[in-house]
Amino acid sequence: MRAFRRQKGRYVAQLDAGERAVVASVVADVAELLGAGRLEDSPAAGPTSSGPTSDAGASAPDGWTLRTSPVPPPRDPAVRRLLPDASRDDPEVAGEFRRLTEDDLRARKVARLRTLWTSLVHGEPGWPEHALVVSPRSADDVVATLTDLRLVLGERLDIRTDADSEALYDGLGDEDEDDVRAYLASVYGALSWLQESLLAVMLAAPERPGAGRGRSDG
Amino acid sequence: MPATTAPDTRPEVDEATSTADAWVTIVWNDPVNLMTYVTYVFQTYFGYPREKADRLMRQVHEEGRAVVSTGNREAMEVDVQAMHSYGLWATLQRGGQ
Repeated sequence: MRAFRRQKGRYVAQLDAGERAVVASVVADVAELLGAGRLEDSPAAGPTSSGPTSDAGASAPDGWTLRTSPVPPPRDPAVRRLLPDASRDDPEVAGEFRRLTEDDLRARKVARLRTLWTSLVHGEPGWPEHALVVSPRSADDVVATLTDLRLVLGERLDIRTDADSEALYDGLGDEDEDDVRAYLASVYGALSWLQESLLAVMLAAPERPGAGRGRSDG
Repeated sequence: MPATTAPDTRPEVDEATSTADAWVTIVWNDPVNLMTYVTYVFQTYFGYPREKADRLMRQVHEEGRAVVSTGNREAMEVDVQAMHSYGLWATLQRGGQ
């Protein structure tokens, strides 16, 4: 794996076939957790295509639906971390927020995951097969998607505190971890490193837009 | 993870908003998000200058949470949703709480 670098106006990392397969499978797993079904099975389907859903509520059909009844919080703590409560102590605020926003948030996250999955599996025309090519315009989606992957892995690895996180990095490569945990930890570490390198090239880019949401309280 | 209590922090807001309609967006510390990423999100989404974004990130990291925006409830719901899209854990509440 080679970190992201700027190359011909794009941000380019290198992942060999095995690394791509590992990351793509994590991407597919997270999409499935969000109710997208298996990405492998629906290459052309839209982000809100129905199908077997794991932790999703009623599947949203095409387009946007306004829910009129409450949406219960996800049962899987990893999914709940991706779609968190918007209040710690006010069920009315949290419930109303979830009713209004959860379908949209799921769909956005799934769409981003699908795009990254396609890049990993099919590569980019005109680039070497090991290149993971990110355009400056899509970099914001990719860096956010890397966060979603890390949040799910972090939940599975029981990373609850900053100390847990440091201990995990310190322990990378230890032989006494069990196999599954060691595997997840190494993937988590690699994705963290990849994300950090993508952020570095994004922040150094001359074309970095001074985006902002357009409200003027900055 | 941050402490679950301590409602004593005075919200750091850069602009006074009328109290009747004042809600705030709070971002909570978490052990997964990278510091550089949190700063990036505050700069990119809110359009905050680097220094302010960095200061808010450090407040989240060191104090467990920070108020990152203020406004009416609908505006805060938009901001919280954006934070969740970025994978940050954000909540909204009335500013006086």
